[in-house]
Amino acid sequence: MHVQDFIQLTVNAVRSQRMRSFLTALGIAVGIGSVVLLTSLGEGLHRFMLAEFTQFGTNLIGINPGKVTTHGVSGALISNVRPLSIEDAQALKRIPQVVDVVSVVQGNAAVEAGKRQRRTTIYGIDPAAPEVFKLQVASGRFLPDDPPRAARSFAVLGSKVREELFGSGQALGERIRIGSERFRVIGSMESKGQLLGFDLDDTVWIPTAKALAMFNRESLMEIDVLYEEGSSADEVASQIRKILIARHGSEDFTITTQEKMLEVLGKILNILTLAVGGLGGISLLVGGVGILTIMTIAVNERTNEIGLLRALGSEKNQILGLFLGEAIVLASIGGLAGLLLGVGGAWLLGFLVPALPTHTSWTYLLAAEMLAAAVGLLAGVLPARRAAALNPVDALRSE
Amino acid sequence: MIRLQQIQRVFQVGEEEVHALRNVDFSADKGEYIAIMGPSGSGKSTLLNIIGLLDRPDGGTYELDSIMTTTLNDREQAHVRRHKIGFVFQFFHLVPRLTAEQNVELPLVLAGVDKDERHLRVRETLGAFGIGDRARHRPDQLSGGQRQRVAIARATIMKPSVILADEPTGNLDRASGNDVVHILEELNRQAITLIMVTHDPELGERAKRRIKMVDGGIEEDTGS
Amino acid sequence: MHFRDIILFSMQASTASRGRTILMLLAMAIGVSSVILLISLGDSARRYVIDQFASLGTNLLIVLPGRSETTGGPPPLLGETPRDLTLDDAIALTQSSVIRRVAPIVAGSAPVSVRQLEREMIILGSSAELLEVRRLSMNQGNFLPPGDLRRGENVCVIGSGGKQELFGNQKALGQWVRIGDRRFRVIGVLAQIGVSLGEDMSEVVIIPVAVAQSLFNTESLFRIVVEATSEDAIARAKEAVLSIIRSRHEGEDDITVITQDAVLATFNKIFKALTMTVGGIAAISLVVAGIMIMNIMLVAVSNRRAEIGLLKALGAPRHQIMGLFLTESALLSIAGAVLGFLLAYGTMELLAGFFPEYSLALALWSPFIAASLALGTGIVFGVMPAKRAAMLEPALALSRR
Repeated sequence: MHVQDFIQLTVNAVRSQRMRSFLTALGIAVGIGSVVLLTSLGEGLHRFMLAEFTQFGTNLIGINPGKVTTHGVSGALISNVRPLSIEDAQALKRIPQVVDVVSVVQGNAAVEAGKRQRRTTIYGIDPAAPEVFKLQVASGRFLPDDPPRAARSFAVLGSKVREELFGSGQALGERIRIGSERFRVIGSMESKGQLLGFDLDDTVWIPTAKALAMFNRESLMEIDVLYEEGSSADEVASQIRKILIARHGSEDFTITTQEKMLEVLGKILNILTLAVGGLGGISLLVGGVGILTIMTIAVNERTNEIGLLRALGSEKNQILGLFLGEAIVLASIGGLAGLLLGVGGAWLLGFLVPALPTHTSWTYLLAAEMLAAAVGLLAGVLPARRAAALNPVDALRSE
Repeated sequence: MIRLQQIQRVFQVGEEEVHALRNVDFSADKGEYIAIMGPSGSGKSTLLNIIGLLDRPDGGTYELDSIMTTTLNDREQAHVRRHKIGFVFQFFHLVPRLTAEQNVELPLVLAGVDKDERHLRVRETLGAFGIGDRARHRPDQLSGGQRQRVAIARATIMKPSVILADEPTGNLDRASGNDVVHILEELNRQAITLIMVTHDPELGERAKRRIKMVDGGIEEDTGS
Repeated sequence: MHFRDIILFSMQASTASRGRTILMLLAMAIGVSSVILLISLGDSARRYVIDQFASLGTNLLIVLPGRSETTGGPPPLLGETPRDLTLDDAIALTQSSVIRRVAPIVAGSAPVSVRQLEREMIILGSSAELLEVRRLSMNQGNFLPPGDLRRGENVCVIGSGGKQELFGNQKALGQWVRIGDRRFRVIGVLAQIGVSLGEDMSEVVIIPVAVAQSLFNTESLFRIVVEATSEDAIARAKEAVLSIIRSRHEGEDDITVITQDAVLATFNKIFKALTMTVGGIAAISLVVAGIMIMNIMLVAVSNRRAEIGLLKALGAPRHQIMGLFLTESALLSIAGAVLGFLLAYGTMELLAGFFPEYSLALALWSPFIAASLALGTGIVFGVMPAKRAAMLEPALALSRR
């Protein structure tokens, strides 16, 4: 039998029961639609998170004090008997692949400018921060390249702090008080927006040593290392490990490469997308049962026709193929409609709630359509086999 | 060209074994016109089904055009059925959602014949049976006689060597019935073997050879 | 027609074509059970988290140094402030009449060693009050001794997991361990408790707060945990904490106070929303099941034309035919819901067997939601076929074979 004729016969059968086929396909459509919509949401979230994480660049390695154990509590949060020092950070600059090193101390303090006061996040940071974290200076300049231990009392304001403290007035050159110390404003930053809930605009940047003194700390909270494009993260990490162990005597710090973090994050988000898609898949399962039922009914109703086809000389496999084909056609039509539903839904959602990241990828769409066809195939197997196994004499005799 | 030897067919009905055919020997030559007659349950339909390869005997051998059909698998049997045998049923068995044309075309589609050739042959056959103007009608738009003509057209489109008709007039009024019988006899005159099951004695009388079956065996055969 | 007869008639009709009835029940059951299961899982997760919170103690307030002005933003869990919370702040809090207990906390990590064995562990500096505040209990020995917070002996209490790691099956009580560069005597071992919200108390070493401050060379506290005298006093206790610290910090509000019930309420809300979302997604499958019921009832109507015609000829009015078909789809839905409930119940029992620590159970109200959803689906999607049956012309219905 020609493929073309085969298709025509199955489509003819599907079309001859319009209402029934419509409802069966609708079931699959709702299932596929929800799978597509939900995976679009998952994928959107995935991309959103990756974008958030990579806006600092990807060639980063972070070093935190303390060995992170099963507690999952980062050493940065709590006190530590073995601090990471500014000198540790300086030492890492000797690694050839390392482009820049930034030491970080974070805290919270009241900032006063004239009569205005604001309690905000203070970052003690190195001059290389704009390059490493991909920050843009809006006016003035970033912290100058002073000796780390003898940095001058300069401060750079995040865009929001600048606006809150100085409004439309001039900030450059003004003196501000942070905690009990006085600083001179030498620059302000472009808005960077929120990063996973941390507002980088509501921030004041000061030299690391000044921050350590202000917060009465010994240890840095983090050292961030920017390495050359194309170098292996693992190799740089192992050199960092070697240098720090030589300085500390043991591995009392934790190294996190951005690469590994993104990998883990990607894995988690993929699982999430799959899980959410799986929830939508329940509907698809029910839709599959729908096809199974309708095909069972069809085989029952068309027993006579099956007997006739056998008498006219069709093989068992042809009968099997015809009914399987019918199930697949039903499911595929439903699948296509479901794609429209899902993509439309995702678009509508993106339109109504712009904050919600959605992304529909062609691979997912293709996979969803294949899934629909597979559901049809699976649901069709049982009825089609029954049809093929019918005894022609009995089939012809049935009412 | 048809040779059945020691054919047996046993059905299991509940606990009981029913012998539908008991060691039947039967043969027919090319172009014969045979009527199989007998009371209900005498095994005449079973015999026809076995000749048509719709049913497998439980014992014995069946040779058709010097092919030993009893050893063929499903595929090969389907092939023989497709090319050598045409069926005409009491209830026509037309696919209700297909047009007359498409119904007649069905065996050609199953055999994988090309579209152009198919259309030519279908048109020709429908014309020959006088239903060319009904080609695009569905079965429910046709009269009983027209339906049976479509069915006969379908049975002959593959140019089979045998036509098996099971009560072909049983569901028709007298006029249409006669009509159908004439068509079948005309086909028989073109050297197609015609085997017809009927319990209409008048119809049976028309056949050149009559077989009377009783209780799963051939009681009387005017030909042998 | 009596109600009983309608039910009987419908049951006979649906058992006549057994295969498709079973499939329809299956579809309904899948939908119902997934709704029940997901709602119940969400609810179990909610209860788990809330129980965990409650097991941390009751009527708690957590005082953190630093304050963020970004409303709605996260509290400054990270980072340092120029004005620390000090031990004196903690002692000052005990003066309030609405505060029952105060446990200052210094947290840090340090290598802990017993003979050759060394482990990096979390060290908590606190006071005797911590035992009551955090609802801890002792397996052996005693907790930190009460007394002046500004002084402390070199003694420590270890968690059960830590004990196992450091001492194995040997006796820990009275032994000496080295933490950082100091030696501590083990005076107690905590009773085993589960992980609570990521703070694994079984892996920590607890030492007196003053000793911890000198070990980590810091004047500041990580946080202060305060227990209010009663549930009603939580709000007043919060006010008291804020005003006491303000007066000690030169009028500045530079702390954040988190109350346990506020956190609980937030968690409650988040989990409820999550549960509803997940349940809602599962409920889509009920819509699909509904479409299927509609489809099959339509098939049934066309297959049973003759029967409907006959009923009409026998004098059945339209609404009765409609009632018959509606009853049939409602019955199917209910049966599917019951089946789905059993399926969900079985799965949940199975899951609970595998993960006993999460106290998984069906949410009490989930069967009602699922049952009403199922019944609703059955009726909504049953209306169209039933109407079609009712509208059949009797003569026409009878004429087709």
